[in-house]
Amino acid sequence: MSIEEVIARLFSKFPASEKSAAPVKDYATIQLRSREDLLPVLSLLKEQGFAYLDMLSAVDWKGPVLMEGYVREMNPNALQPGGAAARPAPAPAPGFAYRDEMTAVYLLSNLPDRLKVFLKVDFPRSDAVLPSAVGLFKSADWQEREAYDLFGIAFEGHPNLKKILTAQFLEGHPLRKDYAHVRDRFDA
Amino acid sequence: MSVPQAPSRSPMKTDQLFVNLGPQHPSTHGVLRVGLTIEGELIVKAEPDIGYLHRGTEKLCEIRTYPQCIVLSDRWDYCSAMTNNLAYCLAVERLLGVRAPERADALRVVHCELNRIASHLILVGTYGIDIGAFTPFLYAFREREMILDLFEMSSGARLTYNYIRLGGVMRDVTKEFAEKTREFLAYFKPRIDEYDELLSYNPIFLDRTKGVGALSAKRAVEWGLSGPNLRASGVAYDVRKWEPQCGYEKYPFKIVLGKNGDCFDRYHCRVREMREAVKIIEAALDGLPEGPVMAKVPKVVKPAPGEAYAHVEGARGDLGIYAVSDGTACPYRLHVRAPSFVNLAILQELFVGQKLADAIAILGSFDIVLGEVDR
Repeated sequence: MSIEEVIARLFSKFPASEKSAAPVKDYATIQLRSREDLLPVLSLLKEQGFAYLDMLSAVDWKGPVLMEGYVREMNPNALQPGGAAARPAPAPAPGFAYRDEMTAVYLLSNLPDRLKVFLKVDFPRSDAVLPSAVGLFKSADWQEREAYDLFGIAFEGHPNLKKILTAQFLEGHPLRKDYAHVRDRFDA
Repeated sequence: MSVPQAPSRSPMKTDQLFVNLGPQHPSTHGVLRVGLTIEGELIVKAEPDIGYLHRGTEKLCEIRTYPQCIVLSDRWDYCSAMTNNLAYCLAVERLLGVRAPERADALRVVHCELNRIASHLILVGTYGIDIGAFTPFLYAFREREMILDLFEMSSGARLTYNYIRLGGVMRDVTKEFAEKTREFLAYFKPRIDEYDELLSYNPIFLDRTKGVGALSAKRAVEWGLSGPNLRASGVAYDVRKWEPQCGYEKYPFKIVLGKNGDCFDRYHCRVREMREAVKIIEAALDGLPEGPVMAKVPKVVKPAPGEAYAHVEGARGDLGIYAVSDGTACPYRLHVRAPSFVNLAILQELFVGQKLADAIAILGSFDIVLGEVDR
């Protein structure tokens, strides 16, 4: 089975999905039309041997990142007495592919046939809810928790959706581009 | 007269007890905490708790330039920093459309495989300690020290190398490096048999590891395990064969497979992998081409907007980097598919029903590095 056959079969069942306009270089990339398609597409791919969920992550397109999201200033001039003068924050300008959306990225592998396919699904930042893939792939368990922690995506149907990497007291989701760090007792 | 059958579980009622394993326990290999609920000796519930070492490297990458991020990549899996450098550089090179020269590719392979040996030696040593054998640790670290000396010779660092750079490697190796590496390999090959004698076929070690924490191939794939943990269950998934980069297709080596997927197989896959790594290094040194070690890469790295994914077979599994470029000098988004992180998730299920002492054996056999789990 070749990757073209897999994609053709997928497009015949889900005519709304298409090849991604922004593909991952050297890999087949499929853009899903809506998040309702996500679980049916995942289970269809699983039936075709894509039993290995390699990677699950997301991208926030409301860039560029806010500098308030970082504890330290970028490139402080250590040579100046008293450290660097605080630089004025750059005027907010919409960044690359700016839109009020996030994209979830799934990478699935078919181990016997040596195939890999990327799935992408867009959803609005204010309504960051996706169906959980834990029922199909156990490896989604922690990766979804990671995406929940860092991006604030709520995975519906996840058995144990709670913070995994960041500290309990940390508020917000650090990998969202508009995350602002709240100074705490660990900041110098 | 019929003999009454002894019940499989003791009829004695025991209270459930909550035990904190870690985060500062030597057998958790870093700062991992596992909240165990035990009933007598048996584990009823296990909740791994991670994040103690979370430094937010994915966030930090967003305001650092592409070459600066290589330094951060050293800190993910600090036991095999070379493969981290390689995975990151391959992803950015795909964004740039740059390919490293042949000599750089061969040097990358030599360093990554040496690092794989060094990393597997840590497992052999520390796993012995987990199980109760102290001696192999001293032997393994003696050999690892020699590899670190080799790395010091080529990169100047012993743990965080920053040796593999965008478009090639930092600098060429000297003639002395190749000689010393061959010397080391000649010394090291018989040592692997020594580990087998000392630890692998030790009856006490076998009792503690054979048949403990067995994983079927289906279950291992379902949980997304990779690296020796997956291959121990008999699934032949090795990125070096699957999607060869840096000229791995040229080198003769076998995918090392286990049968039962138990702790012993996971451990022994790594021991046997060291033998394959020696073969790869020898072949790479024999066929080391002349030429430059750095491709033409612009001084300020600004890849065209786009997305790329590159993955390599790290010492702990399939290390993948998903990078999004917006055309500026800093990555727009960098995601690390850390093998230890994905490998660790299965413990919450695998620990249940095991004895407390076996939990230590299982955890050790997964060979996690918390720097990579938490990133």
